[in-house]
Amino acid sequence: MDAYVEKDAVEVSDDGRRPPEDPPVTPREAPDHEAPEDPVDAGTEGSGGSAGTTGPGTGIMALSMPYQVVVAVALAVAGVFACVHLAMVFLHVAPSNTLTKRHGEAVGDWIYPEFEQNWKLFAPNPLQMNISLEVRAELATADGGHRTTGWIDLTAQDIEAIRHNPMPSHAQQNQLRRAVDFYLNTHTDDGRPNGSRSTFSEQYMRRLAMQRLYALEGSDGRALGPDTRRIQIRTVTRPVPAARWSDEKARTNPGYRQFPWWTITETDRSVGDRASRTEAGR
Amino acid sequence: MSTPPATPARAREPFDRKLARGVQAVTGRTLAPYQSAIVRIGFSLTWLLYLLRELPHRHQLYGPDGPWSWELAQRLIADNRAFTVLMWSDGRIWFEFVYGAAVLSAVLLLVGWRTRAVSVVFMVGVLSLLNRSIFVGDGGDNVLHLAAIYLVFTRCGRVWSLDARRAAREARAESAGEPPRRDVVGPLLWTVLGGFLLAATWFSDVSGEWWVMVLLWVLWLGNGLWWLVCRLAPGEPRTLLDALANLAHNGVLVVLMVEVCLIYATAGWYKIQGSRWQDGTALYYPLHLDYFSPWPGLSDLLGASGIMVMLLSYGTVIVQVAFPFTLFNRRVKNVLLVAMMLEHAGIAVLLGLPVFSLAMISADAVFLPTAFLVALGTGATRGRDRLLRRTPAGTAPAETLPEQRRTGEEHGPRTLVG
Repeated sequence: MDAYVEKDAVEVSDDGRRPPEDPPVTPREAPDHEAPEDPVDAGTEGSGGSAGTTGPGTGIMALSMPYQVVVAVALAVAGVFACVHLAMVFLHVAPSNTLTKRHGEAVGDWIYPEFEQNWKLFAPNPLQMNISLEVRAELATADGGHRTTGWIDLTAQDIEAIRHNPMPSHAQQNQLRRAVDFYLNTHTDDGRPNGSRSTFSEQYMRRLAMQRLYALEGSDGRALGPDTRRIQIRTVTRPVPAARWSDEKARTNPGYRQFPWWTITETDRSVGDRASRTEAGR
Repeated sequence: MSTPPATPARAREPFDRKLARGVQAVTGRTLAPYQSAIVRIGFSLTWLLYLLRELPHRHQLYGPDGPWSWELAQRLIADNRAFTVLMWSDGRIWFEFVYGAAVLSAVLLLVGWRTRAVSVVFMVGVLSLLNRSIFVGDGGDNVLHLAAIYLVFTRCGRVWSLDARRAAREARAESAGEPPRRDVVGPLLWTVLGGFLLAATWFSDVSGEWWVMVLLWVLWLGNGLWWLVCRLAPGEPRTLLDALANLAHNGVLVVLMVEVCLIYATAGWYKIQGSRWQDGTALYYPLHLDYFSPWPGLSDLLGASGIMVMLLSYGTVIVQVAFPFTLFNRRVKNVLLVAMMLEHAGIAVLLGLPVFSLAMISADAVFLPTAFLVALGTGATRGRDRLLRRTPAGTAPAETLPEQRRTGEEHGPRTLVG
């Protein structure tokens, strides 16, 4: 049965045009298949265009009974495996349901980490606001005191790099954007951690911010990074303005969320040196 | 829908005969050689372009001293057990080596050199880099990640590859009665990869889940076994291995197709539930997200018309939801396939997501009709021949031309010979 299902599905795919007229490699192989053809071809590869395909010399029909049993067993195993895998992927992408509520762990064990996937692209609703990350730093001054910088918009740096860029880098389009998502997802509204990965996202955020601060210069022409003792981040949320052709009244004033001050450690700083070089390379 | 001559008789064919024919087909033939080849070419090209584009940003994204530091990655991977060879060492040289190997594997897979072995290296490269920093990826990386695993099981080098060319050359030599040339590269590659496999086993604690290691060993031993069987037992054992390889290829191709359907089904059905997709304004918003509007003028132009936005929003949902069902009708499927590829081309420019779009188009390509692909291949060969003929470089073109033509155009006569 599995075989039957597989076969049909494959045939749907390539429109049934495939077999008699087009395989360009295989027909050459077919006639001399009886002979031990090109043993030297093999090397590290199974395909390499060897392995005759069409004709009587291949497949389960060309084999004697014991070998046929092996192929039949393999067929059954492969069929079951494919079905189970597809069922697991289906349950993974499907909304929470009776089955996943009961056996969610089994699905997760099968899927994670290598088959994880999320195809809710702009769904159920697309994001309708621009979220910016801003940072300010407390710098040690030469006289032993400290001063605080103004808010520096890190997202604006990304946007500038993306503008009129036919192929934006993941470093510009995804890294900070997803780090903010990661941080917001692992913290409550007032910035308290709410998951086992919160510390990861905090350190990640500090390192991202420090890397940018190393590449920025203060008013005195010195890089901000080396003097930074503490930093604070905030997110600024600006709703996309309603379209001109729409009669909706969208909120237009930005919303701010401020997070606690962090003391910068040597671990956070180790990204700095590389940073200036990378930034320069942009 | 299946083998054309059989269509009228097929309804009357008893079930057991149909079953037997099906079993023979999935074990005796490498189905969809052109589709698997175009998928191979598409994904390796995507990965190659991505790696080259990120060359200046590679440390920033995946390097040991990047913001997502080696220590952070190590702690996360200890938890999620994702496969990556980048946890073997936090050294800069090791990182550069892995990145370089990933680039090389993408080039080699693109041209189809030793496809079976290179596809494994390709998978290792893709998983190693993408799993190293999971917080910099998007949907394109996700689909590439899955495709790299699935490709390992396919015989994706049967056409449009150096492998195919080499096989044809050897077949010609054999029919001309020449003695087979001894292949040194294959066993050498196998030995080198075996060394890496030993290292991977040594580092298996930090290399990810157990099944990846088992898979790598099975593939390596399988390739060695194939070589041995071809030399020592070219009869039934070889046919058995060939049948098993066909089985894996055909089965995984089905998995890949269903995977693509699941992608579109998920994307479509979840959109239906969103109020913005219902009132037909959804497309307006991505066009006005700073991160996804590299060409604000173009985005404004498209978003300026409410009717246009609605038509495109509704069209997107309809196409995505409908696509899996259209597989039962070839013509409608092809129309939708074109629509989806065009939409992805649009996304590439408008939303600044060329890598994502190319990855999705590569996945869609598994559904392209064989006739189209064959025509595409012939056209490409002819175009290349014409280009080469124009080059005034002495004897080189004359030497290469006959062979190249043979791969594309001469397969008709060859079939008659077979």
